[in-house]
Amino acid sequence: MSRILISLFVGLNLLTSPVWGAWPEKPIKIIVPFKAGGTSDQTARVFQAAMKENNLLSQPVTIVNVGGHYSIGSRQVMEANPDGHTFLLIHIALMGGEGSGALNFGWRDFAPVAATGEFCLFPMVRKDSDINSVQDLLGAAKSNPDTLIFGANLGAINHLAGVMLQELAPGAKFRFVQIGGGTANYTALTGAQTNATVLSGAEVVKFTRMPDGSENPEAQIKPLAYTGSERFEQLSQLPTMKELGYDMEFCIKSWWFAPKGTPEAAIKGFANALQASTSTDRYQKFLDSKGFANLFLGGNDLQQDLQNTWTAIEPVAKLASKK
Amino acid sequence: MDLELLFAAAGQILTPWPFFLLFIGTSLGILVGAIPGMTGAMLIALTLPLTFYMDPFNAIVLLVAMYVGAISGGLITATLLRMPGTPAAVMTTFDGYPMARNGRPGRALGLGITASFVGGLIAWITLATITKPLSVFATKFGPFEYFTLIMMAMVLIASVSEGSLAKGLISGLLGMLISMPGVDPATGMPRLTFDWYMLNGGLKLLPVLIGVFAVSQIIKDALDIGQVPERIAMSSKGMLMSIRDFLHQGVNLIRSSLIGTWVGILPGIGASIGSVIAYTAAKNMSTTPEKFGTGSEEGIVASEAANNATVGGALIPLIAMGIPGSVIDAILIGALMIHSIQPGPTLFLTNADIVWGMIAACLLANVLMWLLMTSSVKYIAGLMYLPRSFVLPVVMVFCVIGSFALNNTMFDVWVMLIFGVMGFLMECAKIPLGPFVIGFVLAPLAEEKLRSGLMMTAGDFSPIFTRPLPLFFTILAVILLLWPIVGDWVRKRRLSHK
Repeated sequence: MSRILISLFVGLNLLTSPVWGAWPEKPIKIIVPFKAGGTSDQTARVFQAAMKENNLLSQPVTIVNVGGHYSIGSRQVMEANPDGHTFLLIHIALMGGEGSGALNFGWRDFAPVAATGEFCLFPMVRKDSDINSVQDLLGAAKSNPDTLIFGANLGAINHLAGVMLQELAPGAKFRFVQIGGGTANYTALTGAQTNATVLSGAEVVKFTRMPDGSENPEAQIKPLAYTGSERFEQLSQLPTMKELGYDMEFCIKSWWFAPKGTPEAAIKGFANALQASTSTDRYQKFLDSKGFANLFLGGNDLQQDLQNTWTAIEPVAKLASKK
Repeated sequence: MDLELLFAAAGQILTPWPFFLLFIGTSLGILVGAIPGMTGAMLIALTLPLTFYMDPFNAIVLLVAMYVGAISGGLITATLLRMPGTPAAVMTTFDGYPMARNGRPGRALGLGITASFVGGLIAWITLATITKPLSVFATKFGPFEYFTLIMMAMVLIASVSEGSLAKGLISGLLGMLISMPGVDPATGMPRLTFDWYMLNGGLKLLPVLIGVFAVSQIIKDALDIGQVPERIAMSSKGMLMSIRDFLHQGVNLIRSSLIGTWVGILPGIGASIGSVIAYTAAKNMSTTPEKFGTGSEEGIVASEAANNATVGGALIPLIAMGIPGSVIDAILIGALMIHSIQPGPTLFLTNADIVWGMIAACLLANVLMWLLMTSSVKYIAGLMYLPRSFVLPVVMVFCVIGSFALNNTMFDVWVMLIFGVMGFLMECAKIPLGPFVIGFVLAPLAEEKLRSGLMMTAGDFSPIFTRPLPLFFTILAVILLLWPIVGDWVRKRRLSHK
């Protein structure tokens, strides 16, 4: 008797459950697996504000920063209840970690929701070096392998980009040295402790341009080319890698994932809210300030893009982790 | 140009909200300094999580104000109770307390307060003038220069900390060990995590600090919870220093401030050492050295001028090189990093507003400290008699909230509790906590620098001995390490000869 009652109850519950239309039924939690104040955190907060100001969701959005290594917060989402109220904001680091073997899980353990906004990189060298183009840079790395010092944060985005760069010319080899993120690499390159690195468009502008956009005469470093599919707006005199004939595109998008098994309605619903946010003024202003390009991918396009990125990144991450 | 930026920063601090934070920070710092058993490091570690959602400029103003206030507030309890409110005020107890017992508490406090102010001022002038040139010089520092400098700092802190050299080294090594799990800086792969993903991010500074400094103190205080200090009659007679006082104490004031500033600049050693050296110097140069320890005015002035001067001094290597000059500076670095600001040579370029904000806050907090303490020291003194059963639970709640708020994980709360017990046990064994924290903060930095240096040279160590600065730092470190041992040996030999 009681068993019948329970199944009746469960059945009723299923019929009235929010999966069938009432999503979201409680506040939505975005886990950012990085500390507060970083670029990913700022991105999440801009979306949160845009959704709130435009009433894009019937429930509030909260952001939880899980600091430490990004695997901690990512894992929390992977293991979260797939009820459609927990999402993860991450980027290519997730694939880098899986490819190098640092993580024992990866992007295929999540349900992809969307990709938003992207930024790409500039290979950088010192102004007083004889290197004036990507061809010079790769040539130098090829004729004297393992001597050009490439500053990176080992295992992270700038390292992966450096490995991808050297793989363009068979036989070319940089000597990768642990320096850190953009500011640390700028310092090391300025102090001639390293010979090359990569910086984001916003960083290049900050470190080499005056506030009015003219070149800063005190800057001792110069960008060579852009790894995006189109030229970077504020440095439009620089060609893209594709224009130079290199098959390399290296851009970092914000990826939104949900735990595997999350109902389709929740994934669609959240993706729609994200997409609507990308056309708000607030989001546009944020993109401009960060030098990001506007972009939105969902559904099959997203799946395809993730697969393509993985195909390109997996071997690079393997190489990067090899000594 | 620089002056313009300084004035702009000062102007910004004087707008309502930042000024309110400056006021709150300075007063809280003084209060915490004045309550025995609570330290500035504890207050700042607990405030840090609250600053996550503040503008970085305001956060820095608040924290620097607390730093200045806490170092100053310690003199109240040191003078009236012979209990240093902060470790930095130990030397003040020697002369402040006897003078207060002899019926001149106002005079003793007044001397201490004004000396603190002058010490802070002189250090500030140094801070405002040499930090930028030093940071330009520091861009020439490569990984080997940094590595040897950090090693020297670690030896320095171990050898001059209170207690035996062996215990200092044990403490420092423990701190270094604790900092090892997490992501290997040279490969980007997790290490020593025992396949437990919570350890991928390593043990974070904040929960470890709150545990070691705050929780251990709570345990200690809770064990003698009923203790209430004996009251001393308070009067504010003689609070203000006269021109004649300044003439009398002028040389002492300047000398002690300069010693404090210089000791502050040396990475790794903080306010306590600064006041010990200045006090000793004042005693050696005094015409009435026999008065020291019985209520000497010079003693109070030397100790207080020096310990406040270390605050400004210690900010210099923090800003210019990203190396903490004291425990509190190590926490301040954490605060900057939480706001994505990397202290170091490029800070003037990338975050000029923050640097000048820090420098301006240091000055304004000093002025405010003097005004607050001179006007209300009578009332602050009453706080010393707050029953601990009210204070401790509140602080404990803040410890838990503070640890949790960093990463929103319970893991950090457990880390805090475990290190609280560990800190308490270390104190019981008379192992100093300072080297532990410095080792914990500096070891990852030293490792990263050394390994990136070795990556540059393909495994060649020789730059440590062939480049001038690394060689200099290495030799200095070896001398500092051997000095106490050799000194001990010589003394023993002399004794046995007799």
